[in-house]
Amino acid sequence: MATSFLDNLPIPEFLKPREEAPHYGVVGDFDTPEELLRAIRTLRVAGFTKMEAYSPFPIHGIDEALGEPRSPLGRIVITAAVVGLAGAVALQWWTGAVDYKLNVAGKPLFALEPSVPIMFELTVLLAAFAAVLGMFYLNRMPTYYHAFFNFSRAGGASNDRFLLAVEAADPKFRGEELKTLLDSLGSRHSELVEA
Amino acid sequence: MAHTHSQETDAYFVPLRTWAAVRNAILFVAVLGWIGALAGYATDPEHFFWSYLVAFLFSISIAIGAAFFVMVQHLTGSAWSVTVRRLMEALMRTLPAFLVLFAPLPLGLHYLYEWSRAGAAKDPLLKLKIGYLNEQWFTIRGFLVIGLLSLWALVLYAKSRKQDDSGAVRLTLSAERWSAPGVLMLFVGSSIVGFDWIMSLNPRWYSTMFGVIFLAGGAMAFMAVIIVLCLWLRSNGYLVHSVNTEHYHDLGKWLFMLMVFWAYVSFSQYMLIWYANMPEETIWFKNRFTGSWLYVALLLVAGHFIVPLFAMLPRAVKRSRGALAFFAGWLLLMHYTDLYWQVMPVFYKSGFGMSWLSPVCLVATVSTMGLVFWSSFREKPLVPVGDPRLKQCLAFHNA
Repeated sequence: MATSFLDNLPIPEFLKPREEAPHYGVVGDFDTPEELLRAIRTLRVAGFTKMEAYSPFPIHGIDEALGEPRSPLGRIVITAAVVGLAGAVALQWWTGAVDYKLNVAGKPLFALEPSVPIMFELTVLLAAFAAVLGMFYLNRMPTYYHAFFNFSRAGGASNDRFLLAVEAADPKFRGEELKTLLDSLGSRHSELVEA
Repeated sequence: MAHTHSQETDAYFVPLRTWAAVRNAILFVAVLGWIGALAGYATDPEHFFWSYLVAFLFSISIAIGAAFFVMVQHLTGSAWSVTVRRLMEALMRTLPAFLVLFAPLPLGLHYLYEWSRAGAAKDPLLKLKIGYLNEQWFTIRGFLVIGLLSLWALVLYAKSRKQDDSGAVRLTLSAERWSAPGVLMLFVGSSIVGFDWIMSLNPRWYSTMFGVIFLAGGAMAFMAVIIVLCLWLRSNGYLVHSVNTEHYHDLGKWLFMLMVFWAYVSFSQYMLIWYANMPEETIWFKNRFTGSWLYVALLLVAGHFIVPLFAMLPRAVKRSRGALAFFAGWLLLMHYTDLYWQVMPVFYKSGFGMSWLSPVCLVATVSTMGLVFWSSFREKPLVPVGDPRLKQCLAFHNA
């Protein structure tokens, strides 16, 4: 009734309340990492695919439980490391033996032996940068807004709670019904979280 | 993380008949090895002592590596390594045997060490070092360092064995307290014996890096031995579930890391000497690049570092048991080559050479070590069954 009444008023479209607020998903709140893992495995068997777990510390085996693919970070790091290695050789060879030849104590203008520390350092430097920045990129950091934090107990994930979100994008997402399912899996408090 | 995988259990005990059969096989090899070594000593003492020195260094470096690693596991409170720790402890427990294996060396000092010969007293440089480099002190230092290492090895082993029955957490804490001074003693002690046994072959030359190189090579060889032992036990149906792919992955990472660490310290020594370019320092490498020794040096650069560096980098290689077995075996060979290349150019001055006694002495010392190692498993478990972290280790997972 209310909506039809609003529809008849001459107010702009964007001020009208949305009929159905889009949801981020249903989030459950578990006591222990074991219960969290069990819930994830059960939901995976039930066919859920879009899930995300939030915990205060890394839980061994959670990536496999969630069906996460291997992180591509390793490949990013090795690429940067090889670039660093090649760059160090090129830098020392070009500055020492090409651009500005300087004879120091009769040593060769370019030799591999004294170049190795720089090769090592640049390899490590670029690999470390790639690891940190690549991690930021893959984690989509910085993200200024994330709907997960609309969950009333989101703070528990950085203290002593183990949270599991079944996202609305999941084809098997059923809204309110999922709360009952999560509760039956041991969740202390399940909530339909707004986007 | 004690999670809920259904864990299949392994048999932790080797049946007595199987145990005795393996013991007899090792004993047979040991007897053959020692007969050969004694025959060599009787007929050609000079070659015998040179070969024996390398064989002794190879064996004891592995035992020292084991002691180092066991103490590190206690100090870090590692859970991942619990199922392999008893094998490590059994290797560490071979250290007292080296009190006996060391005994022949002082008899052959004149063959090996220039400073022990009559001419040293007249040499202007060596006569200054004779207060340290003399037969009595060499012998005392050797026995003292092996004795201290043995003491720690026996104490830590006894604690772990006691825990098999009692499961007392107190023993874990007490092992931690022993390990901290133990690691310090081990670093100082193995540096001293590294200087004495290898570096003093060239008594005018010195490098403060030498002790670390000896320890790093030994620790790497120890890790290779552990991998080979686990795989050997596995192929006979032991430790199939308790040492799984996750554990092999970590052992592989350690093997890789210690191989790189050896290369790091070895190269540090080489680069400083290359850069300073002083004759009294470069002579050590000059002697080791003479003739065909150069190819041995290049083999070490490629085989002890560059090839395994790239080949062992991928995760899949460290998780593949076949590949891991290959690289463990290869790096053991490289460790022997490394020691051979450090020691033997003093004897074979013009190029690579090898006596039939080198493999024979190696068989003798390694099989003796093997006998002591295997004696730890006579009706005793293959894993520390009373360790409070055992459950955690069985469920261990690489992140």
